[in-house]
Amino acid sequence: MTDPLIEIKEITCSSGDGRKVFEKASLTLFGGEKVLVTAPVASGKSLLLKLIAGLVKPEEGEVRVFGGDITRLSDSELKSIRKRMGFVFQDTTLISNLKVIENVALPVMYHTDMTFDASMERSRLLLEDAGFTGDLWALPGPLPLFAKKEVAAARAVSLGPEILLCENIAEGLTESEMEKTASFILKYHGHYGGRLLILTSSTAAEAPFFKPDRRITIEGRRFVEGR
Amino acid sequence: MRLFSFLGRLVIERLRVLFSVLEIASSAVWSAVFRFNQGRNATLSVLFKQVYFTGFEAIPIISWIALILGLIVVTQSLSILPRFGGEGLIGEIMVWVIVREAGPVFASVIVIARSGTAIASELGSMKVSKEVWSLEMMGIDPLHYLVMPRVIGTAISVFVLTFYFEAVSILGGYLLAGFGKNIAFSAYISNVLGAMGFVEAGVSLLKSVLFGFIIGTVCSYHGLLVEKSITQIPQETTKAVIGSLRLVFLIDAVITFIFFM
Repeated sequence: MTDPLIEIKEITCSSGDGRKVFEKASLTLFGGEKVLVTAPVASGKSLLLKLIAGLVKPEEGEVRVFGGDITRLSDSELKSIRKRMGFVFQDTTLISNLKVIENVALPVMYHTDMTFDASMERSRLLLEDAGFTGDLWALPGPLPLFAKKEVAAARAVSLGPEILLCENIAEGLTESEMEKTASFILKYHGHYGGRLLILTSSTAAEAPFFKPDRRITIEGRRFVEGR
Repeated sequence: MRLFSFLGRLVIERLRVLFSVLEIASSAVWSAVFRFNQGRNATLSVLFKQVYFTGFEAIPIISWIALILGLIVVTQSLSILPRFGGEGLIGEIMVWVIVREAGPVFASVIVIARSGTAIASELGSMKVSKEVWSLEMMGIDPLHYLVMPRVIGTAISVFVLTFYFEAVSILGGYLLAGFGKNIAFSAYISNVLGAMGFVEAGVSLLKSVLFGFIIGTVCSYHGLLVEKSITQIPQETTKAVIGSLRLVFLIDAVITFIFFM
C-alpha cells in the first residue's frame, strides 16, 4: 500500500471554548480514497479540517500531512502544504469583494506565476465544468446557495489539490443540485489517480451521491470506522 | 494604589496596541519589499483597486475642499496684507499654510473619512463572514494579500492627493479670490515658487507618505480586530477613525516641530 496522505496519531485536542473534542484519536487516510466523516453538529468535524490544514495544533499526538508533522512545521511550510489542499466550506466563504471568476482565479493568481488572462481563462473553464451558468463578473453575495457551492467547488480544485475536503456540502441543496455538484467533484477526483476526497457531514446525506469507500464516525472523541 | 494600578493597566494596554500596529506596519513593509513577487498578480490587483478607490475616486471631494480652502486663505491674506503693504507675501503664506500643513492634513482627513472607514469595515465584515479564515485555509497570508496592498495603496494615494490638493488650492485660490485684485497671476506664481524650498516640498512629501501609511495600518488593524459579532464592525470602524486622526495630528506636530522650530 502507498504511504498515507494524512496520518492522525493519538491526538488529544480541544475546541476554542476549551471543550475536549478528541482524545487519543487516530485516523489514517490514503490517496485515491473517498472518505465520509459523519458526526452530529459540534462534535469535531470542523476541528478535523482545521487540524488537517494546520490551523489548530493538537495538545497531544501527531498530525502528519504529506509525510510532514504539521505540529512541527513553520508557517511557510504550512502554507505550502495548504496549497496542495482544496476546501469547499459549508457556508462557501467566497470573497465578497471579488467577482465570481476572480474568486476561482484567486488561488492560482496568488500561488502561481500564471498570467492574469491565462488564470481567468482557466477559471472560466472550471466554472463551466462545475455547471455554473450565471454572470462570471457578478459579485457572489446575491447568488443562490447552489451557485455559490458551484463557485466554491471550482475554486477548491483550481490548483489541482491532492486532498479535497468538503464540509457539509449537501446542506441547503436539493437532490438534483447535489447530483450536479457531486458529479463535478467526482469527475475531478476520478480524473487524476491518487487524490484523496474527504467529506464531512452531519447527516450523511452525501453518501448516495459520492458512494464513499470508507465511512468514519466521530464517537466518544475518537474516529470509528463504519461500513 | 488603585490609581497606579489603573494607570499601569492603561499604559500596558496602549503599548500592546502600539506593538500590534507596529507589527502590522512592519509586516506590510516586509511584504512589499521582500515578498513582492509572491502572489504578485493577486496582490497587485488589490493594490490597484485600493489606489483607484482611495486616490482616483477622491478627486472630486479633494478638488472641492482644496478650492474652498484656497479661496479662504487667499481672501483672508488679501484682506490683511495690503494694510502692511505686504501683498508680496501671499506666495509665502500659501506655501506655509497649504504646502507645509493643510495639504497633507486635509488630504489625510478626507482619506480617513472615505477610505479608512471602508478599510476597517470591509476587513471587519470579512472576519465575521470567515473570509479571512478561508484565505488562511487556502494558504494565502491575509497580512500579505489583504493588509499590505491596502497600506501601500493608501500611502500612494495620500501622497498623490496631497500634491493635487496643494496645486488646486494654490491655483484655484488665486483664480477664485485673487483674480482681479492688484496682484498679477505671474507674480503670484513666481512668489509661490520662490517660497517653495526643498524643505517645504520634502516635508509635505514625508508627511503625506507617513500619514497614508498610518491610516492604512491603523484601519487594517482595527478591521482585523473584529471577531465574530457584526456589532463589532461599527465599533472598530469608529476606533479606526479616532486612532488614525490622533496619530496623524500627533505625527504632524512632531514633524513640524522637528523641521520648522
